[in-house]
Amino acid sequence: MNGRLSVTAVSLLLAVAAPAQTENLAVPPYQGVYEPQGVDERGLWMEADETERSARDSGLLIRDQTLNDYVRSVLCRTVGDDRCRNVRIYILRIPSFNATMFPNGMMTVWSGLLLRCRTEAELASVLGHEFAHFERRHTVNRFRRTRTATDILAWSALIGAVTAQPSNTDLLVIGGLFRFNRDQEREADVLGLAYLTRSTYRPQGASEIWVRMMGEVDASALGRAQRSRRYDRAPFFATHPTELERATYLRSLAGPDIAGRADNAEAYAAAMRPWTRIFLEDQVRLNDFGGTEFVLAQSAGNRWTADLLFARGELYRMRGNPRDLVNAADFYRQSITQDDGRPEAFRGLGLALMRARSTEEGKAALRRYLELKPDAPDAPMIRALVDQAF
Amino acid sequence: MHIRTYMITAVALLLMAPAAAIANSLIAANAPVRIANSTLSVTPSQDWNKLSARPGRSAETWTLDGDALNNLTYYAGIQSDRPLFREVDRRNRPLPRFSATMLLADIPTLLENSYRAGRSVAVYAIEQVEPVQFAGQSGVHFRYSFTAGDEVRRRGEAYGAIVSGCLYLVTYEAPAIHYFDASIEAFRQVIASAAIGSGRR
Amino acid sequence: MFEPNADWTAQARENIGAALTQAQATLGNRVIVQPDVVGEAAQIQADYMALFSAIAGSVINYQFFVGNRLPTKVRDNRAGAFEWTMGPGVSAIPGASDADYALFIYTEDHYGSTGRKVLQILAAVSVGVAVQTGLHKGYAGLVDLRTGNLLWLNADMAMGGEVRTPEGAQRRVAQLLEDFPGRRPVQAAGAR
Repeated sequence: MNGRLSVTAVSLLLAVAAPAQTENLAVPPYQGVYEPQGVDERGLWMEADETERSARDSGLLIRDQTLNDYVRSVLCRTVGDDRCRNVRIYILRIPSFNATMFPNGMMTVWSGLLLRCRTEAELASVLGHEFAHFERRHTVNRFRRTRTATDILAWSALIGAVTAQPSNTDLLVIGGLFRFNRDQEREADVLGLAYLTRSTYRPQGASEIWVRMMGEVDASALGRAQRSRRYDRAPFFATHPTELERATYLRSLAGPDIAGRADNAEAYAAAMRPWTRIFLEDQVRLNDFGGTEFVLAQSAGNRWTADLLFARGELYRMRGNPRDLVNAADFYRQSITQDDGRPEAFRGLGLALMRARSTEEGKAALRRYLELKPDAPDAPMIRALVDQAF
Repeated sequence: MHIRTYMITAVALLLMAPAAAIANSLIAANAPVRIANSTLSVTPSQDWNKLSARPGRSAETWTLDGDALNNLTYYAGIQSDRPLFREVDRRNRPLPRFSATMLLADIPTLLENSYRAGRSVAVYAIEQVEPVQFAGQSGVHFRYSFTAGDEVRRRGEAYGAIVSGCLYLVTYEAPAIHYFDASIEAFRQVIASAAIGSGRR
Repeated sequence: MFEPNADWTAQARENIGAALTQAQATLGNRVIVQPDVVGEAAQIQADYMALFSAIAGSVINYQFFVGNRLPTKVRDNRAGAFEWTMGPGVSAIPGASDADYALFIYTEDHYGSTGRKVLQILAAVSVGVAVQTGLHKGYAGLVDLRTGNLLWLNADMAMGGEVRTPEGAQRRVAQLLEDFPGRRPVQAAGAR
């Protein structure tokens, strides 16, 4: 397919062009909390304080203490206690891959990011990168206004879901994580890697997540029968490194795998377990078939869990072409094989079958849903479907 | 002099863009009204305002105090493979489409996913879904709540039916504080008066 | 780009606060400042602030823009009624038990840097504004805390008064509180 051929061609090109890197990966001594100097900076801090007030009161804020403690622990383990002490983290339920950091020390982490990371090391690399922008005061040097938490959502609309392809290069895919110029991005990458190298995390996580993000952008565009625009711009015209180039130099900088370094995939999965179903549901409902398929497949690796299979069933059922409904029923069945206690799986199976005109089988599944969850919000409607005489 | 005490609070406001220059029109009480050139008609028992700005070709919005405070929207005769409302960014944020093969039980999810995909609504819950007679048809009635970008928590109630392969859906949304309860009866009365005629659009 | 300037804003807030305190004599009222709150009280506060924004936006959109008015409300206007409300639940607003009315004030000022003409493109939720020099907006709204009724709203996107100075702040406050119910007319410094 054309998409795949382009990837091969471009990666060869860039492999030749990528310069050898010998960057200094030492973490500089921490300068302490930075107080704003001058009218411009005080203005930014004031705006950031207003934004923080809105974030604190926002309907999007996830307040769960356990999750907040966990994300904080990852940040602190990455950048060190003296640096993370003054950071306030706000986890927002926004299904896009993003994290932002404001000059006053406020950091937001979006649920779409938590969904897409597979290990603690990956989350660490993204948070470290964001913190590096903060430590280098890039925002102060090249700020743009973000006023309130409502704007966070408005920006999300502007940037689009993860798979958006806005024309402005600086907003390509990752929103806040790509808002700076090329030199600043590289600086943040290098400092971010320095944190990782000093920490106990495996630094290769930094490049892996960008590779996956590229794949998701491609998949989303393909799912919409669009051409992915990421490769349209020659590297020298871009104001920031393309994800591919970034992935390449991050990988080379990180060096060979060092024994004893951790990914902490299990710890990450455990921390996310109470949230996986919610974040998957938010993603599935975005109407991005290709991108969501990609995210699910990447999360699964070689092991499709009941939750992932259920999500896949929902995804196909919601697109709802005749073939999709058959596939959806299969995914629900596979999910039920692993876990037959989740009522919604029977609901999804039943609805897919009913819609595909396998009425008796569909009704049987819906009956099971009602047995498992008789007080479901839609129980009256489902009961009516079951009682229908055709 | 009577001393009155005032409390000051500072608040940031969002300014909405003014709508098109064409005037909003009066929907007079007790007269049947045809909705969006479809075969759906209603007879409200109180006056409403119809906004000149429409969410989509087959849609129409009524209000009493402004659509941010009470919003009665009709999606009248949505054909198969069409979205409920106009796509703001078709390329990057395409909306889900109605399909004539959908079950009534799928309609609440169609609305929810349209808001999530197209209007950046990230917090949305469906509270109740039940079968009901609507406009003389077998229909679905559902209640929901959500928070949009303006951080106002809203409640919603909707009625829908699929007739001749087309979707007829009427939603009422208002802030949970005061406004939802204030006009819910007026909405239900409009619903009770609804009729869907025969013949296609 | 508009540069948020904390010094200016802090000064402006101080000036406006002082001007309001001065103006209270003409209002015949005692002004108290709302307490800072956390927890559930903060959520109620946030909910009412968001609702007020929605109401103010509706008033501006469907009342102040004359061509966009709502026919049912035009009828009310002819009868002299101005009916927008937050509902009687306003008594739950933090601090409401100590007050009869709530005054919501928003004033926003941006001053372009010398020598720079900037085009400001705002996010989708706000109005797109193209401004050459500065931006001076003000809204003030008064809510009856017994009924929740919005008694009065003043919104002006081209306000006067250089709020970085005490005299300018007085002028801005005078404009904001123009037609304030029960107010005695006052000669503000540098009146329009």
